[in-house]
Amino acid sequence: MEIMRLVVTGPVGAGKSTFIRSVSEIEVVDTDRQATDETLLLKKRTTVAFDFGRLQFGPDMALHLYGTPGQSRFDFMWDILIHKAHAYILLVAAHRPGEFRYARRILTFMNQRSSVPMIIGLTHVDHPNAWEPANVGVALGYPNPFECPPIINVNATEAASVAQAIIKLIEHSTCECLV
Amino acid sequence: MAVTGYLAEFSLAELFKFLEQGNKVGLLTICVLADADSKDQKNYYVWFNQGRIVAAGNTLDQQGLLRLISQRGWLGDRAASRLAQSCIISTPMGLCLKSQNVLNAEQLKLLFYAQVMQQVCALFTLKDGWFQFDAKVPLPTAEMTGLNAPATEVTLAGLRALKDWSALADKLPEPTSALVSSISGKPQQRLNQSEWQIWEFVNGAVSLNAIAKQLQLTTEKVQQIAFRLIVSGVVEEMPLVADVPQTTISAASMEPIASQSGAMGQGGATNVSHSFLQNLVGFLRGKA
Repeated sequence: MEIMRLVVTGPVGAGKSTFIRSVSEIEVVDTDRQATDETLLLKKRTTVAFDFGRLQFGPDMALHLYGTPGQSRFDFMWDILIHKAHAYILLVAAHRPGEFRYARRILTFMNQRSSVPMIIGLTHVDHPNAWEPANVGVALGYPNPFECPPIINVNATEAASVAQAIIKLIEHSTCECLV
Repeated sequence: MAVTGYLAEFSLAELFKFLEQGNKVGLLTICVLADADSKDQKNYYVWFNQGRIVAAGNTLDQQGLLRLISQRGWLGDRAASRLAQSCIISTPMGLCLKSQNVLNAEQLKLLFYAQVMQQVCALFTLKDGWFQFDAKVPLPTAEMTGLNAPATEVTLAGLRALKDWSALADKLPEPTSALVSSISGKPQQRLNQSEWQIWEFVNGAVSLNAIAKQLQLTTEKVQQIAFRLIVSGVVEEMPLVADVPQTTISAASMEPIASQSGAMGQGGATNVSHSFLQNLVGFLRGKA
């Protein structure tokens, strides 16, 4: 069985679990639990270990999707998941600048641990207070657009949008010599 | 789509770093409600050119600089207005008055200090406020001395003088995190002694807790200094991986994944084939 592993990471409420659910062909194995801290302000349940989804597209070919927990006290999971990943997508809610700091922290960690290809997926881009992609790029530490990874808009609730995002990540990965 | 938000979420220090790193040109407006019960609001304005602060004030009447000159008794209101009218629109007022020998270089520096350094540094004490950056606003030459300062230099000055850090408590780096350099070489900024001391530990391996112990400072103090270095753009916070805790999650929910697919098995990621990627993209295009 040939397997590609993609990690979906990002701050709490960016849409990681939804992203995986939208495209997985199996019932997503989640480890969501009742949120108890400030996360409760954003949503009732939150991922505490990881989400797992799968797409089997041939008798011996499958895509595995792993969603990281968004909260910092589960940082250890980032290390476990990124170590096995072929590529990752960082999801960021474009209308919540308060989360950019945490997204940047994730990026720094991932870039120190792994050099696998990555793209940035912006969610909630239709919100009136959403920041433009180029500005989110600067806020995440990419002031030079030529050095910035691809930034795409994603609607995590729509399978088609999620599929497009994964295609973009794969295309970017092939540029970065994944094979 | 504007650059907008609340300082309680995206602090002024982070905003200044963003504006400097993005080489932004335009007007930053900060709107603060006097208190929760009042509808009175106070606006502050900071103008940027290529990420550098060129002017600041609390009105948009283009008279702020002339008022500062008048307050110092260097020029009467009427005389200043008359001279200002003879200035070329594209020339900063301060430079124009200097070219007419009305002001000297030292007076311009004092004006810039009062207008930008003092007024903007005071904004770091704001607990909250709504902000918006408008890149379409032209530079206000009537408010400009002709001098400017990098936004992060003003941030450093503002945060060094800050006494009450409560509004920034949830934005400080975690005590368990380390710092990594985000620049090549040494910082160009004029760091103070405590900032240089923390800089010595920028290797991605020593937690802020450990730095505090070594330097015999409180962890809170080290977090504040580290935050200053982060918003100056010289370091990044890097979480250190803690030991995997005893999990309370049902192991049964994860084991089938690992055993059936081998997905999280031993060893790192092995490369996937071209045909695999072609098939996957074809499959996804059918869904997209």
